[in-house]
Parts: sequence; C-alpha cells; structure tokens
Amino acid sequence: MSNAKERKHAKKMRNQPTNVTLSSGFVAERSTKYHNGGGRPFQAQKQEPFSGTSRQRQTKMTHHSPVDPDVKEQSSSKIMFKKKGGWKAGPEGTSQEIPKYITASTFAQARAAEISAMLKAVTQKSSNSLVFQTLPRHMRRRAMSHNVKRLPRRLQEIAQKEAEKAVHQKKEHSKNKCHRARRCHKKRVLEFNRRQKKNIWLETHIWHAKRFHMVKKWGYCLGERPTVKSHRACYRAMTNRCLLQDLSYYCCLELKGKEEEILKALSLMCSIDAGLTFAAVHCLSGKRQGSVLLYRANKYPREMLGPVTFIWKSERISGHTSESRQLWIWLHPTLKQDILEELKSACQCVEPVKSAVCIPSLLPTTSEEKSQTVLPDEKIGKKRKWKDDGENAKPFKKVIGDGTRDPRQPSSWISPATGIIISDLTMEMNRLRLIGPLSHSILTEALKAASVQTEGEDTEKTPHHWWIETCKNPDSVSLHHRQEAVFELLGGITSPAEIPAGTVLGLTVGDPRINLPQKRSKVFPNPEKCQDNEKVRQLLLEGVPVDCAHSFIWNQAICKNVTENKISDQDLNRKRSELLVPGSQLVLGPQESRIPILLIQQPGKVTGDERQGWGSGWDVLLPKGWGMAFWIPFIYRGARVGGLKESVVHSQYKSSPDIPSDFPDCPAGVVFAEEQAKNLLEKYKRRPPAKRPNYVKLGTLAPFRCPWEQLTQEWESRVRSQEKSSGASSPSGEESDSRRDKLPCAPTPENTDPRSDEGGTSQSSSSKPQDGVATECLARLGTGWVAGQDATGSLPCVLRSRKWLKQLSTWCGPSSGDQRAARRALGSGQPAPTRAACLSLLDRFPRALVWVSLALLRKGSPEPHSMICVPAEEDILQLRQDRLYSGPQEPKHSDPFKSEIRKQKERNKVEKRQNQARAEPEGLAGAHPAAGHPALTLGLWSGPLPVVTSHCSRVLLGFVTQGDFSMAVGGGEGLGFVSLTGLLDMLSRQPAAERGLVLLRAPASLQYRFARVAVEV
Amino acid sequence: MVENREPRAAVEAELDLVEYTLRKRLPHRLSWRPSDIYVNMKTDFKAQLACCQKLLDRGAWVQNSCTEIYIHGLGLAISRAINIALQLQAGSFGSLQVAANTSTVELVDELEPETDTREPLTRIRNDSAIHIRVFRVATK
Repeated sequence: MSNAKERKHAKKMRNQPTNVTLSSGFVAERSTKYHNGGGRPFQAQKQEPFSGTSRQRQTKMTHHSPVDPDVKEQSSSKIMFKKKGGWKAGPEGTSQEIPKYITASTFAQARAAEISAMLKAVTQKSSNSLVFQTLPRHMRRRAMSHNVKRLPRRLQEIAQKEAEKAVHQKKEHSKNKCHRARRCHKKRVLEFNRRQKKNIWLETHIWHAKRFHMVKKWGYCLGERPTVKSHRACYRAMTNRCLLQDLSYYCCLELKGKEEEILKALSLMCSIDAGLTFAAVHCLSGKRQGSVLLYRANKYPREMLGPVTFIWKSERISGHTSESRQLWIWLHPTLKQDILEELKSACQCVEPVKSAVCIPSLLPTTSEEKSQTVLPDEKIGKKRKWKDDGENAKPFKKVIGDGTRDPRQPSSWISPATGIIISDLTMEMNRLRLIGPLSHSILTEALKAASVQTEGEDTEKTPHHWWIETCKNPDSVSLHHRQEAVFELLGGITSPAEIPAGTVLGLTVGDPRINLPQKRSKVFPNPEKCQDNEKVRQLLLEGVPVDCAHSFIWNQAICKNVTENKISDQDLNRKRSELLVPGSQLVLGPQESRIPILLIQQPGKVTGDERQGWGSGWDVLLPKGWGMAFWIPFIYRGARVGGLKESVVHSQYKSSPDIPSDFPDCPAGVVFAEEQAKNLLEKYKRRPPAKRPNYVKLGTLAPFRCPWEQLTQEWESRVRSQEKSSGASSPSGEESDSRRDKLPCAPTPENTDPRSDEGGTSQSSSSKPQDGVATECLARLGTGWVAGQDATGSLPCVLRSRKWLKQLSTWCGPSSGDQRAARRALGSGQPAPTRAACLSLLDRFPRALVWVSLALLRKGSPEPHSMICVPAEEDILQLRQDRLYSGPQEPKHSDPFKSEIRKQKERNKVEKRQNQARAEPEGLAGAHPAAGHPALTLGLWSGPLPVVTSHCSRVLLGFVTQGDFSMAVGGGEGLGFVSLTGLLDMLSRQPAAERGLVLLRAPASLQYRFARVAVEV
Repeated sequence: MVENREPRAAVEAELDLVEYTLRKRLPHRLSWRPSDIYVNMKTDFKAQLACCQKLLDRGAWVQNSCTEIYIHGLGLAISRAINIALQLQAGSFGSLQVAANTSTVELVDELEPETDTREPLTRIRNDSAIHIRVFRVATK
C-alpha cells in the first residue's frame, strides 16, 4: 500500500467512531468465536486498502482500551461495518469459520454503538468549508449564502453560526459619514455634476442607469439596451403597442432670418435630385416635417454631410408677416460639427454673438447657472460654478448644456450680410419618441390640454404670466381649443400611420404629473372614441390644419419661464399628501404649469410594398427640464422603453438607413466604420486562435470593414477590361439585351462571357493561396485604379438621385419570384437595363454605391459585413431545377500567412533567447527590429488587400451593413450597399425571371445563400 | 367636400403622375378590442382560424372572455374572412352563429410630390369590406 493511499485513508477514518467500547463480559466470549470470523477473510484479501491502516489505528488507539481482546473486537467490528467486502468474503471463502451463534443482545448493543457513532460523525462537520459549500450541487440554490433560510432546515443552525462568525470577522464599516450624510441631496447633486462633466447626461439618465446598459457615446451617456431580456418584447411593443425612446441627445440648430435668404443659402447644400428640399411647399408652411440630405455646398453627388429633419415655424396668418422665419434642423450628434460648419459658411454667419445681446427678448433673465453654458464671454469654469453652488444653499439640479461642444464656445452666430442667425439649441429641448399603434392612446391619456385660465381668481400670484396673457387673447384661446379638438380626435385613430406623414401639431398641456395613475397600467384605445365620424375622416384626408401647428415652444422666453417655474416633484407630492381626501384629484388652479409641446408624426416604413407604415409614431418636443415629468406618465400608461439597440432594430425593420453606420459617404460614417473595425478587431484578437474563425481560409478579406473604394474601382476596371476583351461587344450586347426581352432564358453567346470570366476567377482563386498571384492580380489592375484613386476623394459616392433610384428599382426585375409576375414583367416590357441608360447613369455617378435591401429566399440570415456576390450561371440553373437548393459553397482557401507567423514566432523565440544570453541594454536594442515587423494576426489578411471582387469563387458585389433575422418578415433580411457598376453589369446579364438574385455569404461561413435584391425608393 | 375633391385630385394625378410618388396609407381601423380580428392575406389561414377559435373557446371565468367576435376582412381578404367564419361555424356543431355586414371603406392614397412647388395630394379609393359577427347561441 502506498503512502499516499494510507494518508488518504487515515483522513477518511479520522472521524470514525472511537467510542465503541464494549464491556469485558462479552468481549471474552466474542473474542474467541467471533474475532476469527472477521480476521481470516480479511487476511485473505490483503490488497484491501483498509486493512493495514485500521490495524495501525487500532494500535494507536490502544490507550482507549488497554485490554487486548477489546482492541481485537474493535478491529473486527470495524471491518465488518466499514468494509462490506470483508464481511461478505468471510462466509464465502471460509464457511466453517462463521460463528456458530450470536448473542442477540450483545450484537445489537455493538451495532447500536456503531450507529450512534456514525450519526455523530455525520452531524460533525469535518472540513473547514462552509455549509453551503458542502451541499451537493443539485441542492444549491440562488442566494443561499445570503439568506440562511434558503438552506435545508437541518443545516440552517450551522449556517447561522457561520454567518455570525463571518460578520464578526468583517471589517468595521467606515463611519466617518453615515448613510444619510452620504446620500444627502446636495452632495449627490455635486457628485452627479462631476460625473457628467465629460459625458452629458440626459434628463432621464438616472431612470435609465437603473435599468439599462449605459454606454458613453457622442458626448452623452446613453442607454444602449435594457438589462432585462427584451429583444422580442420591444419588437412587439413597436408592432402592437408602444415603445418609448429618449432622443434628447439629438441636436437642434435654429436658423432665423428672412425666408428667401435662408432658402437661398440652404439651396446650395441640398439638391432637388435627391428628394424634396427645404423649400417644399407643405414643409415651408410649417404644416409638415421634412427630411433632407445635406451636402457640402455645390458638391451634390459627392461630399455628403448627413440626413436631417427640419420644421419651419408656422406663420400665423393674422399675427406675423413673413419677415422673419424660424427653422429648426434636427440632426444626429455625430453629424453636428460638419453640418454646423457648413451651415455657417453657407449663410456667411461668421460673427459669434453674445446671446444676451443678439436675442435680448429670448433670454431676458439669464440666471446664473444656465447662462454659463450659453454665454461665451463669461469666463467661468466649472470649478467656479461649484463654488457658487457651495455658497448658494440650493445647488441647481443638473448641468444643462451640451456635450458636443465646449461650453465656452459661442452658440449663436449672425451674418452681417444676410441677417441670418444660426443658434445651437442642443439640449435646450427634450425629444421623446413614441413608436407603435398605441402611442395615440398613450398620448391622449397622459396629456391633457391645459385649461384656459379665466381672469379674476388670484391670477396675480401665479408665475405663469405668459399663459394668462395668452388666455386674454380670444384668437389664441380659440386656436387652443381647435388644437385640443384635433388632439382628442387622435385618440380615435388606431395607428399613427393613418395620418399624413410628418404632421406637426402644437399643443399646450397641463402638468402630466397631476393625473398620474396610482399604478402602472396599460391603456387600450377607447372604443367609444373610435367613431367613424366626419371629423376623423377630414383629419385623415387633410391632415392637421396649418394654424394648429403653432406652439409656444418656438418662443424661447416662454420655454425658459416654463422650465424655471416647474413645481418640483417634492412640492407636488407634498401638496398631494395634504389633500383632504387621499387619492383624489389634485387641483392646482393657476399654480399649475402649462407646458407648450410640439407633436410630430414620424412616418414608419414608407418604401417598398410590404409592412406599410410599420414603426410609425410620434415625437414629442418638450422644453428642457420637463423630461422626467413626461417620461414617467408615458411609462405608467404602458409604454415600454428601448435604447440605442432598439432604434437600430427599428431602422432596420423600417429598411431605412441607420444614421452613423449606414452613411459610408459622410465623415461621421467613416469615423464610425473605423471605430467599429477597431472594436471588432480587438474582440477578435481576444479569443485564442483556435477558437476564432480563420478569415483567410474562409476567403473573407475584410471581415471588419467594408473596402468601398477598392470595390467600386475594381468593378469599374473590370467592366472596362471586359468590354475591351469582347472587342466590338457593344452591338452584340444590345442584341442580346433585345433578345432577352423575349426569352426568359438567356441565349448562349453572352453566357459564355460570364462563364469564361467565372473560370478565370475560379482559377485565380484556386491558385490564390500563393501570395504571388494575388500581388500579380494587384499589379495587373493596379495601374488602372491607383491613378483613379488619386483623382477622386477618399469617400465613396452613394447614388441618391430619386429618378435613377426609381429606374433602378424597376430594373431590379420582378420583385416577387413567381412566374406570373415574371410573365407580367415580360409582357409589360419590364426592360433590362439598356446600355445607353447604363452608360449615362455611370457617367453621371462614376464609382457609386447603391443602397439595397435584401430578402433571403430560403434559409439563412445575413450578418453585418456579409458579402453580396453575383451568382454564377450554374447556381441559377441549379436553383431553377431545385427550388429548395440552398446555395453553393465556397471552396476552402489556404492560409499563406500561417507559415510566416510560425516562422516569425520561432525567430522571436531565438531572438529572445539570444537577448537573454546577451547583456541587458543590448537586448533591449535588439528587441526593436522584431517589433518593427508587421504584427501578423492568425486568421486575418495582412498587408494591402488583393483584388476583393474576384478573390472568391463568386464575384463580390457589395457588403451588408445591417442584417439579422427579421421578426417582422419572419426570415433573414439585410440592408447594404452594392457597387452600381457591378449591379448594372449583373442585371444586364441575368435572365428576366431571375433578375435581381444575388448570393450572400457571412464572413465566418463558406455557405452562400440566395437573396433577392430590391432598390426601394 | 371630399366628393368635391376627389375628381379634381384624380385628374391632376393622372396628368402628372411622373411628378408624384404614390404612397398608400394604412386603412382606417374601426376599433381595437380584443374581440376584433382583422384578417389579412399574409398570415397563414390556419393560424388565423386558430386565433379566432381560441378567442371563442376561452371560458367565461377568464377575465376578458368573448362570447362573440368580429372578423373584419377588406378587399382580397373578404373571401378569407368568410371562409374563417364558416369554418368556425362548421366546427362548432351548431353552437355558433354568424351574422355578416358589408360596408365600403375609404382608402387614402397619398401622392407625394417630386418637386418643391407642389402640394401633396390625397386620393380616395373605395374598397369593400365585410364584418362578420360570430356569436354563441344556447344549444337546445
């Protein structure tokens, strides 16, 4: 028996009963008869582990029972109880040595002693682990160590003792500040202000921080996604109920001035070719919200700045003349810097103005704290402000300001020539977005139009003078009543998509906190309101009348007043508690705040045929400071809250581009792509090489970023070289085009073309592994596109001309794959792109990208950075034969970098060894050249990319930027960009029935899947 | 006034359809109770039938149980709505009765202008709709 085994056994036997002492009377008896019975078989099985040690133990234990027979008795009894084998082996091996008789009483007594010993051993804890740790895994429960009562009853006592012990051992809590002092309001506010120094908090930040994963983005702290598992729940809320989002981080720029001047300046920055501009009639009247794509002045197809939405302040026909108009441009914070700069140069607004000087009427009483963030010339840093806070008894609640600019910088600029004033109203307003059909019910339930203040009753005391002034004017009162009536009508409309897109409705509402329900509840539309009456019909047809779009939120003085005179929650609750009848309606009368708001309808999905109006909703604009006061009432009416992830999902299902990520042609999009690539690379490198996909072997050249520029250039040179190779191909090409109109299956002559092309690429891809071929390809194409690269800017150009997009969407062929549609398309002469049209388009937009949506035919769901490829001829043939054909496979590539990496590693090792051998300073010097090598990462292509289009067996067309399983469709759905040249080339080659079919391949997969391309306008 | 507006809008739209983009708006729904079922052509027939059956089969002890449901069908979905109602009736061994109503629904088509100088137009189309009340009768 080995030593280790012995020790182990000794440990096991440590708590064996030692108190089995028997009276000598029957010991003698037993020792003679019984002992042998145990002893003999036991010796026969010498290999049994217990024998030796139990003997040893017994010799040790002799002091307990000095009598020798006693010991023997013990040993035998012990063996019998511990070792079953020994007990059993006895009778079998030597049957004659079974004791002839057993005295029942003594035997029972002995067993009883053993049992009691066993019980005792069980109750005593042997190891120094906690009770919880001794419990078998299947009996452990959550938070058992926290709550003793979750343990099994028998262990509770011991656990209690342990817990007490642990408490005593714990270090005493620092008592320099009691809990109450630490949570004191003033301290907390200071602390909060410190924490939002770098990244601005929204007004709903604390609410979000308790429930959301927060990220620091764009100078703000934003909720990314809820901590609860709610992906599907949020989708359902968007589809059937209501999803609430805080979009207060969106920036607002205000332009004031003469209408003609503003329009003249802005017309440089946008083009009618890409959609309606700022001058659209219905937007100009202030009735609707418009959306527009901004470009650098006079650079239309290129140098995109970003998409914005805008609202003109409605003219009040009676009051103002059209002398001075007000325009709000809402944009994403990432786009702000560029657009603001461009706006300033377009409007020639160069002179920064002190807000107090330039708009004295707007900021009449600039109180200390707010003016600090607004006023440029007051050199008051944050520290100074803190001191002020310390001196004043009441620190202001939050730093209200803007995260995307330096607080000392000016926030408004005036142009001496045109008189246009641009001011930056970021964070001056809150913007809450309600998405989904129940948003009407929630709005009408949560908001009540303000009651008109009649004169007489103590109107002097109230701080809300502006409302009293308004109520004196009969015109305003009647307008208010009309707005109220329209607002009430909304409650009877079951979906925001029934209302004209971008409708603007102004309103003045009472304090929404007053009629807050006791508990969170769900509202349902009131069936009585859903009367199909004439008024609803008129609203649906005509939209909201122009004058109802007026709101006092445009007037900054009133907004300021409203923000400053907000009753704090504390006061409101105190007043509520002082009510005579608890739970009854609180009536504040003239003390109640009236809040001007602006409701803007957001159209849902407008492009495409399916799911019309999905994701439509309302945006609510509020004066600052009132965010939480509206937030909670909305939630108490049953709105679910989503974060940034939900807005990405929303834009994806709406098949509209997501703002920073889906604009590769604007600077913000480029920055975003770079950041994303960096993050993904870091994440990739964190995994061990064996546990991550080897993208080189998978043939994915750029798994983390999309090389748009290279893609478009390669396509251009590719098409050009094809034209050259086919010689005088233009007549034959047109011939084939005309022929294809008649025949669904394309004739052979030009079929040979892609096939030969295909063969070439597959050859190159099969021989690709060698690095030399790649560089050769590069060299072959190099001369063509390197020159081109110099000529153009670094940003790609995206086709956004509505005319051409419409043309493209008809070219993309039968939108549904069934034969009837195909036939109809043929019959009506759904043309293939004609050569002349293609050429004129390509001339106008050389090297452009097109935004496409992709619907998977069968299985699969695209991921971001999936590759969109041109299907080969045989793929389409196979698909035609077998409708269930899922798609071809990419042959595995070989990894030319692997051996290099190995070599490098070996080299490094050798160097290290040498360095260690050498002296220290020398070693340090020697390490540098090794670091100078380009760090190769296993599984990623290093160095400049080879030809991306023909790297794989199918020709690359573009990349997916957003893609996932779409719960709205019930299948995979993706959005992405393809090369315009490539798309036209592909469409002209494909037969009409299969026009618009592409292949999709995820970066970490070899399987291609079929998808249908659609250009949606 | 809608009647006045309609022909003018139609004529205008036909004149310059190139300058407008047609956007169909969602049809106006009557109400949104749990017992209202709007039949569409996209969801599987069986699933819609099961949905109706489930609503009817909920016992009286359930909080919002329906003794009657309303099946609404519009346009192409009329035949499907009728089919569902009849299937429900056939499967109920005489305990369900149906009562149908027809109506005309006004659909709004929005014409979005392509040029800045034009106002957006709306056109009204009419489409037929059916509203079938399926209700339980006491079996004798």
